[in-house]
Amino acid sequence: MRVVADIIKGAYSLIVGMGVTIRAFFSPVVTCQYPRETINISPRFRSHTKLVGDPENPDRTKCIVCGMCERNCPSNSIKKIEGEKKEGEKKKTATSYILDFTTCSQCGICVESCPVDALAFSSDYNPVGFRREDFHYDLVKEYEKRKKTA
Amino acid sequence: MCDTIINIVNIVGKEVVRTVVGLIGVFIVVIGNAIMLTWAERKVAGHMQRRIGPKEVGPFGLIQSFADSVKLLGKELLTPANVERPLYFLAPTLIFVPVLVTFVVIPFDGFLQVKDINVGILVILAFSSLTVLSILIAGWGSNNKYSLIGAVRSVAQNIAYEIPLLLSLLPIIFMANSFSLRDVVEAQKGLWFVFYQPVAFLIFFVASVAETNRTPFDLPEAESELVAGFHTEYSGMRFSLFFLAEYTNMFIVSAIAVTFFLGGYQGPILPGVVWFFMKTYVLVFVLLWFRWTFPRVRFDQLLNFSWKILIPVSFLNLLVTGGILKL
Amino acid sequence: MILAAKTIEEFRSEFKSVDISEVPYDKQGYHLAIEAQTGNLLNIVEFLDRREFYIVDLFCVDYQDYLELVYFFNTHRELCRVKVTLKLDPEKPVAPTISHIYTIARWYEREAHEFFGIYFEGHPGLTYLFLHSGIDHYPLRRKHVPVPDNDRQLLDSFKPQEEEDCFFVNLGPQHPSTHGVLRVVLKMDGEYIVSAEPVLGYLHRMHEKMAESKSYLQFLPNPARMDYPGALLFNLAHVETVEKLCGIAVPERAKYIRTITCELNRIASHLLWLGAFPADLGGLTPFMYAFDDRENILDILEGVTGSRLTYCYFRFGGLYNDIDEESFVSATKRFIERMRERLVMYDKLITGNVIFINRIKNVGIMEQAKVRKYGSSGPFIRSTGIPFDMRKVDPYEAYGSIDFEIPTGHTGDNMDRYLVRMKEMEISLNIIEEAMKKLPSGPFQTEKVPKKLKPPKGDIYHAIESTRGETGVYIVSDESDTPYRMRWRVPSYSNLMTFPYLAQGLLIADAIATLGSYDIVVPEIDR
Repeated sequence: MRVVADIIKGAYSLIVGMGVTIRAFFSPVVTCQYPRETINISPRFRSHTKLVGDPENPDRTKCIVCGMCERNCPSNSIKKIEGEKKEGEKKKTATSYILDFTTCSQCGICVESCPVDALAFSSDYNPVGFRREDFHYDLVKEYEKRKKTA
Repeated sequence: MCDTIINIVNIVGKEVVRTVVGLIGVFIVVIGNAIMLTWAERKVAGHMQRRIGPKEVGPFGLIQSFADSVKLLGKELLTPANVERPLYFLAPTLIFVPVLVTFVVIPFDGFLQVKDINVGILVILAFSSLTVLSILIAGWGSNNKYSLIGAVRSVAQNIAYEIPLLLSLLPIIFMANSFSLRDVVEAQKGLWFVFYQPVAFLIFFVASVAETNRTPFDLPEAESELVAGFHTEYSGMRFSLFFLAEYTNMFIVSAIAVTFFLGGYQGPILPGVVWFFMKTYVLVFVLLWFRWTFPRVRFDQLLNFSWKILIPVSFLNLLVTGGILKL
Repeated sequence: MILAAKTIEEFRSEFKSVDISEVPYDKQGYHLAIEAQTGNLLNIVEFLDRREFYIVDLFCVDYQDYLELVYFFNTHRELCRVKVTLKLDPEKPVAPTISHIYTIARWYEREAHEFFGIYFEGHPGLTYLFLHSGIDHYPLRRKHVPVPDNDRQLLDSFKPQEEEDCFFVNLGPQHPSTHGVLRVVLKMDGEYIVSAEPVLGYLHRMHEKMAESKSYLQFLPNPARMDYPGALLFNLAHVETVEKLCGIAVPERAKYIRTITCELNRIASHLLWLGAFPADLGGLTPFMYAFDDRENILDILEGVTGSRLTYCYFRFGGLYNDIDEESFVSATKRFIERMRERLVMYDKLITGNVIFINRIKNVGIMEQAKVRKYGSSGPFIRSTGIPFDMRKVDPYEAYGSIDFEIPTGHTGDNMDRYLVRMKEMEISLNIIEEAMKKLPSGPFQTEKVPKKLKPPKGDIYHAIESTRGETGVYIVSDESDTPYRMRWRVPSYSNLMTFPYLAQGLLIADAIATLGSYDIVVPEIDR
């Protein structure tokens, strides 16, 4: 008798399971059909870093070429921070800031260590490239490009 | 034009022409069914998992399977070193023979049947046992431990499940008084046999899931244990032949279940062939539904289930049926 | 505390000449320190074994003048960490093996052997565990010490030989159900497993060595790469240990946010396992359902931390940024509601399924008494009925002020492990709910954290409960801004090493189910 009861109970459990899947079968899908649809990226999303423009002088970024981020970076992803002192300005202006995005782990230590808050995360979630060098971003140039399109 | 055809028919004989045309038709059905089913499986799987499945190639991704088969056809036929070459090459071809032969006796309609043999069901059972032989050959010839385990599992599994399969069909044969499939269908003009023989139907269906190596009885392939089981070492077109055979087998067992239990091509209004395919694909859908719901059973459980439950129950069922018919 | 006092008393009466000292627990994370000698080490370990201590960790620290073997012990009944040290001559380091007392030492000693070149007398097979013959010096030694030829032969001596009626199957490193790149050498008799031997190192990245060349701050992104499904918890282990070492206080709000995000991450990690486990058994649909739920958590965590998998959110003394309270709380509430419904669905789809039950019930039974010998932890031992959870035993963050229960099993089979984890998800939901109710306002970061951390000289061990069990960090500081030695005690390692024991005599299908029930993360084991 117990065998029969077990079989009936087992069969019932299978039918219950099949009920779950068939309900899912007729439910709407939950996936997002990227790239035909896209979802909103959260404002905190961390992509590569970007340089923040100086609100007083939009021609330059806030970066003062102190090199704190370069020293603190765990993966040595920040290279070649160079700048020059322009006439009439107290601080240095960055002319080159290379971020090697291939080794960057978006930890945010550079953003935190910056004494003038010149760094922020961008929300560029789909960077593509064919070569390694495509991901060596010059953030100063990137800033200028952004400034032009804005 | 018409005259020439009639002339040719007269010269070679009606039966031969029927067989040749039928075989061509069968071939088209086999290929079409497999392509349809691969698409259907992915689509069903997708929606059961609340995603969309193929959708890019053609409307609703219908052409996806064509694209896949073209890709598989175009692939280089890799032969791993140290395989038993004759066996390794033979297995994928051999798996296709029983598949084609079983189609010959299935009545798709009152008229649409390649050949009505008076021992039709025996032909089907005899030839479907051949599938396991090619799986064994494939596993043995691959010279791979996973393949071998898969092949050995397959043999034990198929032997265990052929018996309930046959035993569950016997009561129907008692009732129809014939081995011919068309007679069986004709005998269901009134009420389908599934209503007389619900137990036999269940046993047949469970056993046929095992025969086709589908989840929850997909032990010979068992991808989480044996990588890909008996076809681990196969790629390209050879792999796709196994694939094709699996989907055709699904169709065949469903077709037999429809023929024996669900009234075959019989149904109101619509033509018989439409009824037949509709019923068959409903059963195929259930097979897909099984796969995307259940986990896999273990090997000893699989055999225990057959020997300790299915076989005694089907014997009992057979006895009861025999008794009632005699009275 | 009581146990520590009792142990010290008993120890002094038994070992007159051995140094034992009480250590301030809140400073160093362990209660007792014993300085053993080569001669009496075995007696001391046996003494601890008799008192039902389990082995937490075994590793080596190179102090250049001498090598120090460190053994950590603890009990499941009460927190009483005992550190046993053994000083060895760096020229010819030889130590007695304790692998016959504590089975897990077999693997820990192999690790110490290949990384430091310590010989363990009486060890059954000191062969490569992580490394390979291409490495010509001991990687974790401070000076360049080449591997001698006879040592190399010893390390390279793992060569399984086929016997009659048996054959070998390499389960992995490329196999659908080894969850990453784990390799298990199975000796099989038909479908039955005669013996199993895990071979590690396919994902070995030497995080412990990396730590030695990075400042404490710069190591922050690394722990997330060890345990990727439970990244926040590993981050927490690192951050908390350093905070404890430097004496940095954390504001209440940060503590609560840490608790909430960690529990969310725990559920996400459990969901990953919930997807993978039925997939190991052949049921592929739960995988997608679990990932659907997990995606919801990742969305929430992305809104807080900015990343979806390898988070780097906790900072010494607080957090990277505050939560956006409104959206975070409402999203989390919505998730909790949804998840409770989904758990019912999982019960219908998986837990109740007769095939599933038959597959995992009474398979891979781990006896409660054996657990101690392997130093296993987490849901794995809770399934055997030991209610040992670091969150309860040594409450960190906000766990002390939250009431929650610890689910336990009875038999310690795969089914129990499954049920414990399912229950844990439910309890994590409760913890999150309660923590969100109590969430205080205030700062999320302490003001005075020095830019360059230079902790005082000394060592510290601190453990938290990660998804898979006790995750401990041992740091030796030499007053510089980089750790002198950082050791990670990872739970999956000691859990996995019970596999050879459990797999013996199982069918291959059951062995894979058992392997799936561990919820191992290979990058965490390999470090």
